[in-house]
Amino acid sequence: MYGRNAGKLLREVACSESGHLTSFNNILFDKVIQDCSEHHLQLQSLMRKIQDQGLDIQTTRNSDHFGAVIHHLSLIRNKRCLMAYMNHRLEIIRSLRWKVGRELPEEIQQKLTQSERDYFKNHSLALESYMSELDLELTVDMVPPKDPYIQVRVLEDIGDVLLSSAQTTLLRHSVHSLRRSDAEPYISQGLMEEFLG
Amino acid sequence: MSYWEDEDPLVASTIPDVERLKRAWRNEKAAPEIFQFQAELVQRAREQVQLQEDNITVMQAEGTDDLTLSLYQMDLDRTLFLLRSYLRTRLHKIEKYMIHISKTELWDRLSEHEQGFVKRCTDAFEDHLEQSVLSHLPYGYQSILKQSISSEEDDMVPEPKLDAFVFCRSKGTIGAFQLDETGEEIVDLVEDDLYVLRYKSIKALVETGQIDLV
Amino acid sequence: MAGQTDPDLSIFSSAEVEFLAENEVVEIVPNMRMEKLEMISGDFGPFLPQIVTKVPLWLAVALKKRGKCMIRLPEWMTVERLTKVLEAERESPREFQPLPFHYVEISRLLFDHARDDIPDIYMVRNLVEDIRDVRFHKVETGLETISGRTHAVKLKNLSAMEVNIVRPFVMRALQAFYKHDSPEMIPQPDVNGSKRQQVANHGPRRDLRPR
Repeated sequence: MYGRNAGKLLREVACSESGHLTSFNNILFDKVIQDCSEHHLQLQSLMRKIQDQGLDIQTTRNSDHFGAVIHHLSLIRNKRCLMAYMNHRLEIIRSLRWKVGRELPEEIQQKLTQSERDYFKNHSLALESYMSELDLELTVDMVPPKDPYIQVRVLEDIGDVLLSSAQTTLLRHSVHSLRRSDAEPYISQGLMEEFLG
Repeated sequence: MSYWEDEDPLVASTIPDVERLKRAWRNEKAAPEIFQFQAELVQRAREQVQLQEDNITVMQAEGTDDLTLSLYQMDLDRTLFLLRSYLRTRLHKIEKYMIHISKTELWDRLSEHEQGFVKRCTDAFEDHLEQSVLSHLPYGYQSILKQSISSEEDDMVPEPKLDAFVFCRSKGTIGAFQLDETGEEIVDLVEDDLYVLRYKSIKALVETGQIDLV
Repeated sequence: MAGQTDPDLSIFSSAEVEFLAENEVVEIVPNMRMEKLEMISGDFGPFLPQIVTKVPLWLAVALKKRGKCMIRLPEWMTVERLTKVLEAERESPREFQPLPFHYVEISRLLFDHARDDIPDIYMVRNLVEDIRDVRFHKVETGLETISGRTHAVKLKNLSAMEVNIVRPFVMRALQAFYKHDSPEMIPQPDVNGSKRQQVANHGPRRDLRPR
């Protein structure tokens, strides 16, 4: 009660690595919702008590009134925490559309509620219709462009290969100017390195 | 050292659009709130991109050398990045403040397509929160805009923080500039100097192009 | 940018700062003939062997990588000039020397791609690194002068990369002071404050100064 569970829920967010999604905490979330209902019940019963005593609900300032105020404020605090928790998750979920694409991998799906999965789908649709109205894809070019060509030095004899431009012979220690996309697989295999200057 | 630092109206017409786009991109990225959509600039930039794409196709057909082609491609890629990143930066702000934007004069700063995007986004957002949180809360506490029925204003809507501090650079000497309403805070804005100031105090100067955010 | 996790604090990625730096103009000496390039970012060339021409850095590096030009070392990157800058940086603990806004990125791009065009490259590289270090140290000490009365900070001659590095801290610090320090809580903000500053400050102008 009085916001303790809601605080726990938010601490969970604060402690998680920024930009990373944790599994939706159903148990704690439901507890906070329950807290809200409990506050509301108490609030109502205090108000009824004031009315039953024949006092004016607007002007009475007795202990019942202040008790009711505390329940009201606690309820609001819980609501704000719940919304902050949801909102924080939504920000990450939206960013996934840019980072991961339209289809979310199973391991991420599992961390979402059904409503969040629907949200992701609907939000993606909103973005897609914006892009199609604009006739411009926006999920590419996420980082500044680099020279499409790259200078590489060959580290192992690779021999004759067919690259997008033409047939090329890649011998150890030779230096070539290749398309970045052609060179990258060799670089990741350790067969070439980027050659500077 | 940049190409066209000059904002003199006489030479303003010589500032290339890509340079204007860079400025719009930078300001949009650095400001807490969304600026007026640069409709004509975006339109012109897209025309130039289209034209250059066509040129490259023609040059390829004519057998222009790889060197020249790759340089033109790089120029094109750079422009496309700026254009996309500018539009993305706006979308990000729109996503963050969609409800606030649709209820204030900020709405008019959006392009028609962005307005459509806000509507769809807001629907998805409201549906989700309605279903997951708000409908489970007691009566009187179910509004997405207000904390409770007794709130007079919409006190649950995230708004851009206009008193956030920003880094900015004055393009010309503006002189003594008043930062607050009471006139107690005055700063001397000298050409090319860098300042860290509250965004709302120099908002007008950014909008008129006298100051750039960096 | 959408998709970025903490857009409030890191506004420009270092790749984006480098992208901006690549628009800075340098002089090249081509070793080939090429017609004028009519690009979206401007017209460049025509390119003739041994005839100096001005191009943006990205274009210079692209030509250099393809062995088509040499890049002329910018004047501020010579050993003499950098030595003077370093001395001046060390002598004035509160001032930053004027250097190009993108000096860090420009010099790094040239070290990476135009090594053979830089005479005394090791000295030049060391000088640039020393200058960076001295300046970063100054930025740090300067930040200590931020207080509740700071409603504007002037950072004369601070470069793009330096801005990017101090941005998160400065923004948060100023925000916190702004939020917590109401003017009524601070006695005599201006009169005494500025006097005390002058006494304590024998040097010329303060570059990071609370106002």
